[in-house]
Amino acid sequence: MAKVITITSGKGGVGKSTTTANIATALALLGKKVIAVDFDIGLRNLDMILGLENRIVYDVVDVMENRCNLAQAIIKDKRTPNLHFLPASQTKDKTVLNKDKVEKLINELKKDFDYILIDSPAGIESGFEHSIFLADRALIVTTPEVSAIRDADRVIGIIDAKSKKAQLGEEVEKHIIINRIKPELVEKGEMLPIEDVLDLLSLPLIGIVPDDEDIVRSTNLGKPIALDEKSLVGEAFRRIARRIEGEEVPFIDIKAKRGFFSKLKGLFK
Amino acid sequence: MSFFDIFKKKKSKDVAKDRLMMMLAYERANTKIDNLDEMKKDLINVVKKYLNVKDIHIKTSSNQDIETLEVEILLQK
Repeated sequence: MAKVITITSGKGGVGKSTTTANIATALALLGKKVIAVDFDIGLRNLDMILGLENRIVYDVVDVMENRCNLAQAIIKDKRTPNLHFLPASQTKDKTVLNKDKVEKLINELKKDFDYILIDSPAGIESGFEHSIFLADRALIVTTPEVSAIRDADRVIGIIDAKSKKAQLGEEVEKHIIINRIKPELVEKGEMLPIEDVLDLLSLPLIGIVPDDEDIVRSTNLGKPIALDEKSLVGEAFRRIARRIEGEEVPFIDIKAKRGFFSKLKGLFK
Repeated sequence: MSFFDIFKKKKSKDVAKDRLMMMLAYERANTKIDNLDEMKKDLINVVKKYLNVKDIHIKTSSNQDIETLEVEILLQK
């Protein structure tokens, strides 16, 4: 059975699209047939993170408006077999989506794919509602900062109200991804630790991702970090994919990197 | 934590947690029910069948462990 997973956050700029791109890549690496769908109408982004921006001809709105068929709009990643992408449109009119059209599209995709990953727009308006409507599960991305956590909590509170699954009496499975953890700050007590974030949001954790310069580089190159076997951040995303697949995997060890001088300082603290 | 930390100020992560706990509790209580007015009307209609209702007040509150909904039904004298 195909699974629809929506990646959402409430606050913008916490790494939703990067997370979507990397989990999609990692699931594809596990041999699953995956499509990442960008629902951020008007502000297309996932294409560049996946490095597929030059291959777009049609987009998700073209499909819904019957200007092309679905197969024409789907882009197959040549680098990662099994990975597919459906871009958002650049139209300014956000009202082009409606529930019926979204449902038709997702049901169509369900026939062909194991996983449908929806990159939700920031905010809690109609774009968010459409992206959560048919979700089987939701991954809520947050960073360990007050505004991101507050917005995540708002979003968590309305997921069930906006979901079809919840209307039918079932529950949308919800998990937290904590992104951009800075271990140095956590150790100094200047950043909320993982336990505190989970305490506040009272949902189970599915992934922790350290703040890492590799991410900037991979975004520059349009090559998801999950493809980099040596990268710790890449490993963080690959483990999330395995957990989605039902495997029990330990969380990665995020520790502050210590140079000689900071060790020395530590002795005299 | 080293000995000298005792004299330091509270860590900023603790301040963040305290502030968030307050804010989330407040916002959860206020956003829990989407269509409060509708529910009020429905409640009035049900109770009306058996009693003379004047008005209904609904209050929500929540903390870490429990959430409660307080319904106060005012009756006609």
